[in-house]
Amino acid sequence: MIKLVLIVVVPSFFFISCSNTLTSVMPYEREYFAQEKMQFDPIPSRTEQEAHVFLIREASAGGESSFQGGCGCR
Amino acid sequence: MIKLIYPLIVAVFLSFATYAKPKLGTKAPDFKLPDIFTGKIYTMDDFKGKVVLLNLWASWCTGCKAEMPEFFKLQKKLENRDFMIVAVSIDSSKKKALKFLKKVEKRTGIRTPFIVLWDSKKNLAKIYKPIGLPSSYLIDKKGILRKEFIGSFTTKNITLLEKEIEKLLEEKND
Repeated sequence: MIKLVLIVVVPSFFFISCSNTLTSVMPYEREYFAQEKMQFDPIPSRTEQEAHVFLIREASAGGESSFQGGCGCR
Repeated sequence: MIKLIYPLIVAVFLSFATYAKPKLGTKAPDFKLPDIFTGKIYTMDDFKGKVVLLNLWASWCTGCKAEMPEFFKLQKKLENRDFMIVAVSIDSSKKKALKFLKKVEKRTGIRTPFIVLWDSKKNLAKIYKPIGLPSSYLIDKKGILRKEFIGSFTTKNITLLEKEIEKLLEEKND
């Protein structure tokens, strides 16, 4: 009997721990992720300024974006 | 080996139980939550005989900001009908939820026309398991869960919701 319970309980714990509710953040749990300080650019004006400085320093018009090469030739 | 397979099958089914959420066409799950303004406790039974739009929202959710003014107008429009919006805030902070509502009141010029409940522990959200926020659930006069709406309503698509509400309002409450 104990063996049977172990066989049922242990795999069930294993499968439950793999469940979506434990491995990912549910939409209603995103309260803290939604805060401004959790954004990649919490201060948009600062991000803009940093991009501008990068552009001048590297002479790379558009180089800060992911879809252009940064060669300055656009 | 065969002996081992049966318990494994049971275990797999047990693991699926964690995904279980209320099915459409079944009785809407009961709750016991306080009113955010007065603290009065409400349960599902308090809305028997009424078509209920149960809305899960939070002050930090962008879609809710767009949707809430539409709900204010909708409730005002249907105020003499057997229809009630029950907005459940899942904010941890009551203060933030109230601030959000005040902003909407200011924007629409309407005082909160429906019942707003506060679910700080997110228990109702854990039962409904919405795949997005805001989420709304249409419950008929008999307390049966009829429709699920994921995402926010805007001025463009609120008429679709109105049509669904009208359909349920026309149904007899036997």
